[in-house]
Amino acid sequence: MSSRIELLNAGLLRSDGRRPYELRTLSINFASQGTADGSVTFSHGLTEVRVAVLGPREAKAGSRRETLHDRATLNVEVQLAPFGVGERRRRGRGDKRLLELAATIKSTFEPVVQVHLYPRSTIDIFIHVLQLDGGLLPACINGSTLALATAGIPLFDFVCAIAGGVHGTQPLLDLTTVEENDIPSIVVGVMPRTGRVTLVQMETRLHMDRFEEVFRAACDAGKVLWSEMRDALRERTSDLVEALEAGPGAFAAKEVEEI
Amino acid sequence: MSSISKSEKAYIQSSLLSDPPLRADGRGLTDFRTVALESGVAPLANGSARVSIGRNAYDGGGGTEVVAAAKLEVETVGDGEGVDGGRVVCSVSCSPTAYPLLSSNALDDLQHDMTSLLHATLSHPTIRPQNLCILPGKKSWLLNLDVIIFSDAGNIFDAIFMAARAALWDTKVPRTRSVQYRAKKSDRKDATQAMDVDEATHTGSALDTRETVQVSDFELPDYWDEGEPLDGRQTWPVCLTLNLLPTSHFLDATLQEEASVPLKLLVLYSFQSDTPPLLRSMRLLGTGVSDLVQVKSLLKDGEKYARIVWTALEGKLKDEDLRRNQKARERFLNR
Repeated sequence: MSSRIELLNAGLLRSDGRRPYELRTLSINFASQGTADGSVTFSHGLTEVRVAVLGPREAKAGSRRETLHDRATLNVEVQLAPFGVGERRRRGRGDKRLLELAATIKSTFEPVVQVHLYPRSTIDIFIHVLQLDGGLLPACINGSTLALATAGIPLFDFVCAIAGGVHGTQPLLDLTTVEENDIPSIVVGVMPRTGRVTLVQMETRLHMDRFEEVFRAACDAGKVLWSEMRDALRERTSDLVEALEAGPGAFAAKEVEEI
Repeated sequence: MSSISKSEKAYIQSSLLSDPPLRADGRGLTDFRTVALESGVAPLANGSARVSIGRNAYDGGGGTEVVAAAKLEVETVGDGEGVDGGRVVCSVSCSPTAYPLLSSNALDDLQHDMTSLLHATLSHPTIRPQNLCILPGKKSWLLNLDVIIFSDAGNIFDAIFMAARAALWDTKVPRTRSVQYRAKKSDRKDATQAMDVDEATHTGSALDTRETVQVSDFELPDYWDEGEPLDGRQTWPVCLTLNLLPTSHFLDATLQEEASVPLKLLVLYSFQSDTPPLLRSMRLLGTGVSDLVQVKSLLKDGEKYARIVWTALEGKLKDEDLRRNQKARERFLNR
């Protein structure tokens, strides 16, 4: 018997007990982070990212020359907490993998954010990865969507991203690290309202026939994510509206009631 | 870190110096904002804690927020940087969210400044934990303490050291068992006395006649808990920042208040039960100047306040221990 973990057993259950199309638990927390305009702590299974959006604002002194006269520029920075991965490794700001991840996120959001509304300014998206268990890019993208929305930045649509893979002939959704390391996988970012796709990423080989199946499953999963994310955002917004109507001090009163 | 205008600075200073002193949030000069602490926030680390000072009540956000996590690695002594008895390495990193106005170079400088204070204080040989040693002279644990600043709303050093202390308090060192390989005594005797050695039962080298019965490696026994707590829970200091005005001082400054005082004094104390309070470190930060008489009286006051912080933190850490161990067990049993 091999010591490898069985990714999908005969009963079609995966190594963590999920079914092939089952997603991990989502948790979305909109607690404010410092002076950020929009912030969210997004955890998907054991992957947890904090995203803060600042802007649109004047660029920092060092990068002011990169601003464009007719639209806002997106600036994405990704950091990885040294204790968030199994083997402790300090990744600095210049780490190639993180830079690549940031570039992918940036290019995903460029067609979605209405950048033409804010010429000569930047929108900063700061992402801090607290824990990593597969699906890093999807978590970053979903978190960024929500953070941009809470910052009040106009978007054409949500971007909901999800990873998909194939085990044998069975498509799987929402891969963990163990699965990511072993099976071919793709990441799909969909814009659920229009049904368009802004991101497809594949770093492994996958058969043509299988690709379509996984791709369709991932697009559907994106819509499921959308409903979750939309509900969370609506709840927050209605809380805000309630607070506005109740006047100052309402939050404090609510807190006291709950205690 | 925020820049404020001259008039705003003067306004804050004069209200702090007025009688009675006034602060924007209505606190007294020696009052802290609410401090919240949670340990065990990073499941992949050996010990971790999150501290926030002055977060708002309705969504748990805002305020100064710091996460510290300790992670252990095995190191070979004499190979590279490994030291007999283990060592502690600290680092502080700032999220750009915490300092949105700083360029990345300025952020690096700031991180470096904070790291140097934390590392110099906590990695000092006099407070090195005893149980970081695995095999004397061979293997030891390297403790990496990583602190991340997620947001800074003032009084960052106190938060860093509180988080560091809580993370180290929470750290569990895995149990190890020494293993040694040795030839059977009888075989060894045979090998040296007679030439006709039975090859089948011979396990040591015939040429090796040295008396080297030494522990050479270790294993991790399978056990129900994560290990024993890191030694020296009482020795990790707390930091107290005294913000100095010409005639008085105040604690737990917000960003605006920090920007309007010229001088800060950091004192780090540890209060072990059997020894008098120990001053572990001291820093004077800022552009102003102070004199010996003032520093002397400040140290006395600092010790008083630090003891209060220490007692409160100690109480909370014991609570957290209960919450995560005893109460969790009871909950499990009562399911």
